[in-house]
Amino acid sequence: MGSSGGATSRTGRLIGAMRQKRARALALALGVAALALGLAACGSGGGGSGGTVELEGEPSGKLTISNWPLYIDPGKEGTVKEFEKATGIDVKYIEDVNDNAEFFGKMQPLLEQGESGGRSVFVVTDWMAKKMHDLGYLQNLDKEGIPNVEKNLVSSLRNPGFDPNRDFSVPWQSGMGGVIVRTDLAPEVRSVCDLFDPKYKGKVDFLSELRETVPLVMTCEGVNPEEATEEDWMNSIEKIKGAVESGQIRRFTGNDYARDLTSGDAVAVIGWSGDAVQLQADNPNIEWRMPTEGCSLWSDNMVIPVGAPNPTAAEAWMNYVYQPQAAAKIAEYVNYVTPVEGVKQIFEKTEPELAESELIFPSAEFTAKCFTQAQLSEEEEQPVTRAWNAVLNG
Amino acid sequence: MAERRRIVPYFLLGPGTVWLLLFFVVPLFYMGYLSLESGIVGSLSFSWNWGNYSDALSLYDTQFLRSFLYSGLATLICLLVSYPLAYTIAFRAGRWRNALLFAVVAPFFTTYLIRTLAWETILSDQSPAVDALRLIGLVPADGHVLATGSAVIAGLVYNFLPFMILPIYASLEQIDQRLIEAAKDLYASSRAAFWRVTLPLSAPGIVAGTLLTFIPASGDYVNAQFLGSAGNQMIGNVIQSLYKTQLDYPAAAALSFVLMAIIMAVVLIYIRFAGSEALMGEDKL
Repeated sequence: MGSSGGATSRTGRLIGAMRQKRARALALALGVAALALGLAACGSGGGGSGGTVELEGEPSGKLTISNWPLYIDPGKEGTVKEFEKATGIDVKYIEDVNDNAEFFGKMQPLLEQGESGGRSVFVVTDWMAKKMHDLGYLQNLDKEGIPNVEKNLVSSLRNPGFDPNRDFSVPWQSGMGGVIVRTDLAPEVRSVCDLFDPKYKGKVDFLSELRETVPLVMTCEGVNPEEATEEDWMNSIEKIKGAVESGQIRRFTGNDYARDLTSGDAVAVIGWSGDAVQLQADNPNIEWRMPTEGCSLWSDNMVIPVGAPNPTAAEAWMNYVYQPQAAAKIAEYVNYVTPVEGVKQIFEKTEPELAESELIFPSAEFTAKCFTQAQLSEEEEQPVTRAWNAVLNG
Repeated sequence: MAERRRIVPYFLLGPGTVWLLLFFVVPLFYMGYLSLESGIVGSLSFSWNWGNYSDALSLYDTQFLRSFLYSGLATLICLLVSYPLAYTIAFRAGRWRNALLFAVVAPFFTTYLIRTLAWETILSDQSPAVDALRLIGLVPADGHVLATGSAVIAGLVYNFLPFMILPIYASLEQIDQRLIEAAKDLYASSRAAFWRVTLPLSAPGIVAGTLLTFIPASGDYVNAQFLGSAGNQMIGNVIQSLYKTQLDYPAAAALSFVLMAIIMAVVLIYIRFAGSEALMGEDKL
């Protein structure tokens, strides 16, 4: 998921966005306080693996999960409650991941001490999972505890570049970054390049998420993001900067682009597939389009951090949500791409419309031109993020 | 008895002092320490890195200037709107006075965030308000207001207006009406009585109001975040981004100190200037 959104519900989007901003303000204040307390305990980074999960008997006890807001079906009939009923595990489900970098900033001082703040499962995007793993903050999984993952994980997600054997990460949901258009106001927009057309001046939003927006713009320049050099990143950032200065780009958003699209303030945006499915349910003129140059593909992953209490229960959770029935329940609510095999067959009976959606069950042909969300090397990361933030805070 | 009387004031100061020490002085000390470190979260180390301060000024001078421009303009507009309003409430409202005061405070019953978000709707491209602005030619036909600097200033004005109105009202309300009557008895016109009696006597309210508006507006980031665009970000947004997404705590801490220092300097100069103005006014009385 991108910088500032989890999945959104049909009703809670605006409130979600507001809650998110307020949470940021609060977190900033708390962050400063925590910083003051934690300052004395700053050390330098470790490296390598954080060991392997040790399973102990039957799963029981307490389990704390950190996920993005609105990224699971809530309530008394929700997946968390059903899991509690099925296993007797007492779950504390917290939605405190609003942004990968922010979450990292919050957890890093603890992880450096080998602690996870009581959390047993995080959900973070591919690149952040890799970063945490490289710093030695994640445990490898014991595959004995997650047979359903072994059995039901879709083949396209079994061997991603950052974790070829899925040793430390299990996909939670996947999605695609592309363009969302108002078909009544900007019917001709079919690619990210079209967003630079002066016809739409002041009417397009870009995502503030560096790893989503910049690679998509690269594809317009004929650059393959998977092989991009630092110079390619900088060139695309420069191009976006120009579009900001000319007034072409209205503003940078998280998934609060929903507001601008709904009101018509923006006629086309860079946005995520799952959001579009939900927005379309309210306004049939809103449509996600596969850019002619291809989309970006990403997953948010469940990981078990070092120092996680009760890893046995954590693996039980992963195993539970990889049953097709449980995964279908979640997918029906969040509308992103489910990583679990067998959900489509369930939807064919219960939600035939969703079963046919290429956005929820993309075929290999549909995503043929797409690229996996780009990674930045350690040397590239600082100059590129700095240049990007200079554009955002211009 | 005398002994106890000497202790009482310290006792009364206690809670406030402890509060300030714990939640202002101690964090300030850590911020200062942090601002001299180098690296980002994960690789922070203390190194007397004064470069953070020169970077703060050289990299973000645009945002500093913009912040003070926006907050200065917002303060000025607030003053121009507030004074006549406070004057009317204090002297002309009669039995409506309490109702009007309530109306000034009423928006506070809704949170700051919701009120700012409401302006997204008010200034939206298809809104009647923006249509009206287009009609009178203030906004070009294909132009927009939301996601511009004007929207940010409008948001600041709206959000900080009560902080200007209330102190001015309080100082106007305390003016002894007999002084104004005396001025008129001494052949001052209504206008002269206002300029030479009412206005100088309400100066403390104006000073308090402008400070209460200018200081928080300079450090504000919510209005720029929701109502502005990439070219309208204020220094508060930069600090927020450095802390929360770039994890560059030293730069953020240094920037916060520079902001604090500039505001303090501006305020001191202003108080000196405004203070002497008020004195001159009294001399003339």
